[in-house]
Amino acid sequence: MKHRLNFAGKKLTRMVLLLLGVSLLTFLLMWASPLDPLQTNVGQTALGSMTQEQIAELEAYWGIDTPPAQRYLGWLGGVLHGDFGTSLLYRQPVLTVIGERLANSVGLMATAWIISGILGLFLGMLAGAYRNRWPDRVIRGYCLLISSTPSFWLAILLLMIFAVELGWLPVGLSVPMGLQADSVTFVDRLRHGILPVLTLSMTGVANIALHTREKLIEVLSLDYILFAKARGESQTSILLRHGLRNVSLPAMTLQFASISEIIGGSVLVEQVFSYPGLGQAAVTAGLGSDLPLLLGITVITAAIVFVGNLAADLLYGVIDPKIRRRAAKL
Amino acid sequence: MMSNIKRKWIAFLICFLSLSLTAGCGGSASESRSDTSENRSSVVIAMDPNSEPEAGFDPAFGWGAGEHVHEPLIQSTLTVTNADLTIDYDLATDYSVSEDGLLWTVQIRDDVKFTDGEPLTARDVAFTYNMVKESSSVNDFTMLDHAEALNDTTVAFHMTRPFSIWPYTMAVVGIVPEHAYDSATYGSNPIGSGRYILKQWDKGQQVILDANPDYYGEQPNMQRVTIVFMEEDAAFLAAQAGEVDLAYTSATYSDQTVEGYSLAAYESVDNRGFNLPAIPEQTTESGKRIGNDFTADVQVRRAINIGVDRQEMIDHVLNGYGSPAYSVCDQMPWYNPDSEVAYDPEKAKTLLDEAGWKTGEDGIREKDGVKAELNLLYATGDSVRQALAADFADQLKELGISCTLEGVGWDTAYDRAQSDPLIWGWGAHTPMELYNLYHTIGDTGLAQYSPYSNSTVDAYMDQALASSDLEASYDLWQKAQWDGTTGVTQEGDIPWVWLVNIDHLYWVADGLQVAEQKIHPHGHGWSIVNNVDQWSWS
Repeated sequence: MKHRLNFAGKKLTRMVLLLLGVSLLTFLLMWASPLDPLQTNVGQTALGSMTQEQIAELEAYWGIDTPPAQRYLGWLGGVLHGDFGTSLLYRQPVLTVIGERLANSVGLMATAWIISGILGLFLGMLAGAYRNRWPDRVIRGYCLLISSTPSFWLAILLLMIFAVELGWLPVGLSVPMGLQADSVTFVDRLRHGILPVLTLSMTGVANIALHTREKLIEVLSLDYILFAKARGESQTSILLRHGLRNVSLPAMTLQFASISEIIGGSVLVEQVFSYPGLGQAAVTAGLGSDLPLLLGITVITAAIVFVGNLAADLLYGVIDPKIRRRAAKL
Repeated sequence: MMSNIKRKWIAFLICFLSLSLTAGCGGSASESRSDTSENRSSVVIAMDPNSEPEAGFDPAFGWGAGEHVHEPLIQSTLTVTNADLTIDYDLATDYSVSEDGLLWTVQIRDDVKFTDGEPLTARDVAFTYNMVKESSSVNDFTMLDHAEALNDTTVAFHMTRPFSIWPYTMAVVGIVPEHAYDSATYGSNPIGSGRYILKQWDKGQQVILDANPDYYGEQPNMQRVTIVFMEEDAAFLAAQAGEVDLAYTSATYSDQTVEGYSLAAYESVDNRGFNLPAIPEQTTESGKRIGNDFTADVQVRRAINIGVDRQEMIDHVLNGYGSPAYSVCDQMPWYNPDSEVAYDPEKAKTLLDEAGWKTGEDGIREKDGVKAELNLLYATGDSVRQALAADFADQLKELGISCTLEGVGWDTAYDRAQSDPLIWGWGAHTPMELYNLYHTIGDTGLAQYSPYSNSTVDAYMDQALASSDLEASYDLWQKAQWDGTTGVTQEGDIPWVWLVNIDHLYWVADGLQVAEQKIHPHGHGWSIVNNVDQWSWS
């Protein structure tokens, strides 16, 4: 019990420090950014037809004349009271904006995450089992090709093939153009989600498959595999009973670590597919110098990533009896 | 090897996709653009994601106003601008201004209803203006003291200072209902009295507008207008896939063809030009470097103005989609046509020679130890401005002026432009721009964006703003540019050199008749749909 509390306490402190660090870093980057919030959001031409008084009021709104330390501490103070502030661009509470956007993104990211995890594990196992034979070479080739392809470029390529050339799938958005919300069906949403999910999964697969392959090859070269072979166990049985079991832990670490990659990837992919998710909002907030919103998004996504890694830590015990027993002894 | 893998990869992709599609195909009949009959009364338009009003359709947060002014569609305005940017009436039936310019009295129609059935009265107008002033976003209301409803159809605006171009502000501010306004929700659920009703706003992706059946004016021809927000390349793909009827694009794509679409170019006052600091280099009390020894010579500025071939720039950089610019406000009612100059490189060289700028051994001119050198600034990330600046540099080279190029961020650009020429983009639908570019401000006694001062120019513009007659003020704005003896044109001080007005380009589906456009302001955006109610299909 004491161990559990200890563990939880340690993790919690770490999380708080991490979030603090992430928010401070984001703030500093934004502060050092060469973007002028008035120039980007109000526009040169609008500024050019305004009086000095009006420009001064706008500068106050965008916090230009507030000292940076005061801005950051003000934000931090609000967050400690559970108030993430109001988005300067959307003029709505930051949490409302994030909630709306996250609801759109979550399906996209979760599906891509699950597909890339399962498919990555499967392909990695396949490649490892057929090491240096053609399935391995095809899978490896695919993975290397994909890892070196920028995801937004892949997204545009997919759009060109499936939306423009073949016309099977829509070019963008999460719902059909010009259709009222009450007549949008689940199938419509599904069709609009396919290409973004596909892009995210395709890129996500590569990393997981390559690592799984490496790990499996390492496991398969161990003595107990030789022994199993000598006992006459079949290839399938060796793979499932020894390979998969030993690969599952690192695979899980990778799978949970890939949450951050999926979130990162969604920023670009949503932009290309005009998909109204968190990634799109992050870009808008970043380019528009919407400090409260950007800080809110980075802190919340960082928390999601952290919780993902924590989940991996906790699941180790569930999957691996050795870790469970060791923990119990302490 | 590589292509082999690629082929396998595409095969894999197709397999995977056909699998997922079997699950998704059944209900695809719901795409809206399937109906292409002649009596179609809906249109789908792709706009830049920046055009989406993040804070919603609330005039208090800048809907309709700002960098890219346009008609608010959902709300009515007191006045409207005509195609030539003169003023006409929307809600207003008449207006007058007191002799001292401090009181505007506007009569409004009595037959207008909001879409919730309540009548629109002068009280709503007064409420809107006071509220917009209060919330102070991109609408500059510093000249308004307060608005007041005198009766149901008369509203009075009490001003803090004379502002003859107030009717241009009145053309931008949409009137909101006092009884149904809540600043937290109005942006996403606006109630207005305009031609269209906001049917649906899928944030981050699209806006669906339906015609207002009770509109007091002519019924919109287009019953449903859908606006989707897409990046430029996505909008191009959407046109290629035939999913949109009109998509914004830029000169980069202008050499492409899209089957079933033609490229339409609309004139704009979206100009690009350099500021030429008009005073010698010096350091201000606060330690800022201002002025430029080379451009401080008026003959140099004149030589540059006639020494650049604007058409060549348009052909090279804009693929031909643009028009030469001679002022910040070409073709606006307050534009002085005397600004126009002919390209004359020989005369430009003569001007420089006469001013004592002699060509040195390296082909670069020089005078009293000062080299004819310019460091041209452009905003980093704007490829068109960079290309224009490069072309400008090449052309100046021919005149014996050596130029270097430097990309700057907007955090430092304003300060840098005080001593080096920066390429700017302007083009607003108000003469205030002219005022802010050329009029001196406060304690420095110099204009804000580039050091320059001329008391005659200042006086004309002050008179123009104080005028109680809008029509008469146009003449004063024109005189500020050139009155026959002084001004900001070629024969005058020429503190800015204007290069091009950029055409706004759109892919338009065959059969879609886009109504005649007002000269577009700076930037792609909502002004394309100012008159979408009059568009039709043939």
